[in-house]
Amino acid sequence: MAIRFPLSIAAAILVIGSLLALVLPEYYLRLLNLSAISAVAVIGLNFAFGYAGLISLGHAAFVGMGAYGLAILTTTCGWSPWLAAPAAIVASAVLAALIGFPLLRLRGHYLALATLGLNVSFYIVTSNWISLTGGTNGIARIPELALGSFAFSGEHRFLWLVLVVLATVAAVAAILHASRHGREMMAVRDDEIASEMIGIDTTRVKITAFVLSAICAAIAGCLFALHVRFVAPEDFTYAHSITYLAMLIVGGEGTIIGAILGAILLTFLPEWLRFLGTAYLFFFGLLMLCILVFLPTGLVGLGERLRRPRKRVSPVPVGAPEAT
Amino acid sequence: MADFVQLLVNGLAIGSVYALAAIGFVIVYSATGVVNFAAGQFVMFGTFAGVATLINAQLAWPFAYSAALLIMALFGLLFFIAVYLPLRRGSIVTIIIGTVAVSITMQNAALLSFGSWPFRLPSPVEGSAVTIGGAIISTHALGVVGVTALMVTCLWLLFNRTSVGIGMRAVAQDLQAAKLMGLKVNRLLALSWVLAAVLAGVAGLMLGPMWFADVNMGDPIALKAFAATIIGGFGSLPGAIVGGLFVGLSEVLGASYVSSAYKDLISFGIMIIFLLVRPQGVFGEKIQDRG
Repeated sequence: MAIRFPLSIAAAILVIGSLLALVLPEYYLRLLNLSAISAVAVIGLNFAFGYAGLISLGHAAFVGMGAYGLAILTTTCGWSPWLAAPAAIVASAVLAALIGFPLLRLRGHYLALATLGLNVSFYIVTSNWISLTGGTNGIARIPELALGSFAFSGEHRFLWLVLVVLATVAAVAAILHASRHGREMMAVRDDEIASEMIGIDTTRVKITAFVLSAICAAIAGCLFALHVRFVAPEDFTYAHSITYLAMLIVGGEGTIIGAILGAILLTFLPEWLRFLGTAYLFFFGLLMLCILVFLPTGLVGLGERLRRPRKRVSPVPVGAPEAT
Repeated sequence: MADFVQLLVNGLAIGSVYALAAIGFVIVYSATGVVNFAAGQFVMFGTFAGVATLINAQLAWPFAYSAALLIMALFGLLFFIAVYLPLRRGSIVTIIIGTVAVSITMQNAALLSFGSWPFRLPSPVEGSAVTIGGAIISTHALGVVGVTALMVTCLWLLFNRTSVGIGMRAVAQDLQAAKLMGLKVNRLLALSWVLAAVLAGVAGLMLGPMWFADVNMGDPIALKAFAATIIGGFGSLPGAIVGGLFVGLSEVLGASYVSSAYKDLISFGIMIIFLLVRPQGVFGEKIQDRG
């Protein structure tokens, strides 16, 4: 029973993804790959923000750690990507635990700005530690992933890899969501003091959520490095962190489907606006603002509203604080 | 020694600009609770308002500066109506993402109207310099420090000696109570956005001659203003000033004495240390947002 939703979400990703792979032209496949990679990262962010309520503006730093980890191990050390990817993911998880331990005592916008500072520091270090990261030139010539003689090269083949990873990550996330751990995270998000009262170790729960988010981020980072086969500091700035958060909000925070939909929408939206020429980013910003104002619960919330159009939003209770 | 004095004044000048940006950010945050990620773009708009009036319209500088600040005041009002009012019931994150969305739009609006080539915004005291103890210091840098001191004094008078300013503080402290006391809360909230925009305008006009007027200048300024706010204390005006000057000094002195590549890491490193050890900053609000 509990396994039905995770399996169906994984199956849906694989089926819809494969159908799209058959009909879409090469350029759109590239966007689809990029949005699936983002979706993996955003599902991770959903652990930290959607479930545990930790506002992280440093998610791209963990994506970067995964990508750089893989890039350095495969090029400088000459490892196989099959070995380098797990090593990079474990390293990112350990770093997240070390960083999270002191940082997660903060909450709200303090945590937001601290993680933002973390992301800015990551950028400064990767663009200046030239002997390790190649500085702003980045690291090129990352080898491609191959299964025997079958190399995951080209958009088409890579999409299979990405879809399998995304389906796995989404299914695991759905299992965790329904598990005791997921419920603990949401309890901590909703009321930290109350969850401490009922015996939840809030520090452990927060760090678990943060580490899970970093693991997904690092998986996305490895995929990114294997897809583009080039990493540079520019790909992991705090602006990317904000984009991941925006994807989650636009899709619908706290849901896995929302994370995926948001990642797809915000990857494709700028391309759909290309007909506006140089003004496309101008309208992209305005459109995002409109989504936030008119769809506060995201695309997932829109679906709910269409299904139950008569259900009214409950009125604001008397005496509720406003505008604070 | 001469070098040190020169660096000190330059650091204070750039720090003054960060301080003004941080003050604008703090005024909005304490009045409305909005963490304004577009704060850096406000300063960028200020610089480009100067480009429009000084370079494009060729006005004499007193008129150009007044016109630029008037444009900024109107922009603050527009932001209040078009961004703050629709978003105000959203969560912290919705507001953060909303202001980020607006800053993308602002940056591209500037790009569309002014192009990607940087402008050189002239200073009213262009080219003049004074010698202090063997150090040659540009009059502009000294002027920036002076103007900032003047602005801070005016703000202090506004918040402590005028009924409007005291009303704004009342709104910041307790919106419901302020409303019950019969204050025109919406008008005061609008005023805090206008004030923030005008301060950003002053910062932008003073920054223009020190940096190039570039449509991408907003983000670095926003980051420095955030660091300044955290170091000084979230929600504290004296904190914003101290934090801004500190970030400016650490940037300029750090670049020459420590490492120019890692100069920004100093302010962000210190910001993170402050967050961990003393999140309320030097002068901070009492914090509940901490476990």
